[in-house]
Amino acid sequence: MEVQGLTVEFPTEDGLVRAVRGVDMHIAEGEVLGIVGESGSGKSVTALATMRLLPKRAQVSGQVLFEGRDLLTLSDRAMRGVRGSDIAMIFQDPMTALNPVFTVGEQIVEMIRAHAPVGKPLAWKRTVELLDLVGISEPSRRARQYPHEFSGGMRQRAMIAMAVANRPKLLIADEPTTALDVTIQAQVMEVITEVQKAVGSALLLITHDLGLVAGIAHRVQVMYAGRVFENGATDEIFYRSVNPYTKGLLRSIPRLDAKEKTRLYTIPGLPPSGLSRNEACPFRPRCEFADAVCGTVPELVEVVPGHQSRCHHTQEVSM
Amino acid sequence: MPPALSTARPMLSTARAKRGTGDWRLETRLKWLGGWVHMTGVFAYAVRRIFTTIPLLVAATFVVFVLVSISGDPLARLATCTTCSDAAYDRLIDLYELDKPIPLRYVGWITDAATGDLGTSTSLGEKPVAGIVAERLWNTALLAVPSFLLIAFLAVVLGVFSAIKQYSIGDYLVTGASFVGIAMPTFFFGLLLQAFWGVWWQDWTGWKPFYVTGKHVASFGDYLASATLPIITLTIVLLATESRFQRAAMLEVIGSDYIRTARAKGLSERRVIFKHALRNALIPLVTLWALDFAGLLGGSVITETIFAWPGLGQLLVSALPNLDLDLVMGLVMVAALLTISFNLLADLLYGVLDPRIRYD
Repeated sequence: MEVQGLTVEFPTEDGLVRAVRGVDMHIAEGEVLGIVGESGSGKSVTALATMRLLPKRAQVSGQVLFEGRDLLTLSDRAMRGVRGSDIAMIFQDPMTALNPVFTVGEQIVEMIRAHAPVGKPLAWKRTVELLDLVGISEPSRRARQYPHEFSGGMRQRAMIAMAVANRPKLLIADEPTTALDVTIQAQVMEVITEVQKAVGSALLLITHDLGLVAGIAHRVQVMYAGRVFENGATDEIFYRSVNPYTKGLLRSIPRLDAKEKTRLYTIPGLPPSGLSRNEACPFRPRCEFADAVCGTVPELVEVVPGHQSRCHHTQEVSM
Repeated sequence: MPPALSTARPMLSTARAKRGTGDWRLETRLKWLGGWVHMTGVFAYAVRRIFTTIPLLVAATFVVFVLVSISGDPLARLATCTTCSDAAYDRLIDLYELDKPIPLRYVGWITDAATGDLGTSTSLGEKPVAGIVAERLWNTALLAVPSFLLIAFLAVVLGVFSAIKQYSIGDYLVTGASFVGIAMPTFFFGLLLQAFWGVWWQDWTGWKPFYVTGKHVASFGDYLASATLPIITLTIVLLATESRFQRAAMLEVIGSDYIRTARAKGLSERRVIFKHALRNALIPLVTLWALDFAGLLGGSVITETIFAWPGLGQLLVSALPNLDLDLVMGLVMVAALLTISFNLLADLLYGVLDPRIRYD
């Protein structure tokens, strides 16, 4: 999938909120791409925009090329064929993402039958296999239960089973562990990566947790205020970051080897409002390198092949 | 007593779990068999609820009995009667047991009522109350049942339409019309209908498609011609409130995460709205249906009076000024029983619609 110049704007009473401001993104077959950023950086909106799941009032422009077709200009009917079949999504809160009045099995069967001419008995059999695949014990009994009879982690597993039911080429996981207990976050991530490999799909992992992407993603894209700030191979981002924002994020991770009673680093200040029309670099008020040059938004420039950063002071930052 | 919300459901029988073969059709059939364990829970709940209605009925009838008894003197009319003999006095005293205190009279009434004897009406030719009420209940049902079906169906249609077309011209029209419906008094709307179809329309066209008063049931055509206007009158107010309620329930559901999930699955918009959203949005409406239907079956005083429809509401209006105690009590019993049983029905329907509800 290739995203070019994606822009999303929401008209509100206070003016136009520019949630996503020209995002480029590409994800190859089987690749795992992590999108990292603070709340409000536009990462979730980017994902929803590619699936065309945003409310109608959202104004989306740019291109989302998937296997040569621009998803943003597809007919509704064709887009429905893509959703759940070519691209599937796992949402943040498994407690509310499943319909409470249908059994978990019914909801997965529906997903299968929406995209393949399969009879109910066969779809049911496949559903039970899928639940087994995501590590739900007694899958045939569990399939007949309602979401409220599942725990949070179990529901997220069921969501994963549903998402991979049609062997999608791209799996989008939007903060899949944020709403879960810390103790089961790791288990759920493991399930996601396992089934992703088993099914052979690409994975777009959206999170604000850098630790989550470290072990999984091939590439990481850091977003800030609706723009991509840094983009590169995971190791490049973690060990050779040349962007002040990314560096700030990395310093904010709690470390096990930190000396006792050291305060956790936080980036000072708050991200700018989506309403902002300011032409300056949006990170300028929070940045230690900021000077007069930062009065304009820097371009995303290639530092080393495959590693881009959006900063006027790349040279100083990398030193 | 609302059913308890619970996060657990009764365990499935082991026989069923073992037979989980993956065959869909077998599973569905077994689901009903296996549901038997669950059914006993509902059954026990219903029986318990039915028993709790008894003290409720006693309390309700006692209050009304006392209020009606102290609100007037059945002998007062005889005081101005110069031709009435002492025998007439004695007969009334005997009939109403006026020589006994009110609580004792009540005990007498409820003892008879418990054996199925609701007494006799004094104002309607000394006929048994049970017979009169049954006949009037049927008349009221002739209006209430079609009116309820119209309300339930149209409220869902208008509510869903308004919700999925939120802030469109259609939504504003429906919303505006329902505010008019809520605000307009029943008697005014009824009179307006009568004036329009009984006078104006006939003046313009010389044709009078509806009876504007009275109950005519000689043929089905007659029934339609005489019942349509009162049915519309009954429908308008309740429809206005119910469609607003349905709209709100639908909007809440449409904004929920599982609707986004349904869309992300690539389902058609029709399936998303009518399967995933409506199933959830109907749950809160069930209570409203039950209460409104019970109210309609209890008779409408205003509508039945305007259209001279001999139903329960009209009967109550004639029974009260005549101090026809047994008749009033009979009507109260019917209204209380209707309200209680439809409430129970609503609570049981919840269990069918919402799997998260368990009865215990």
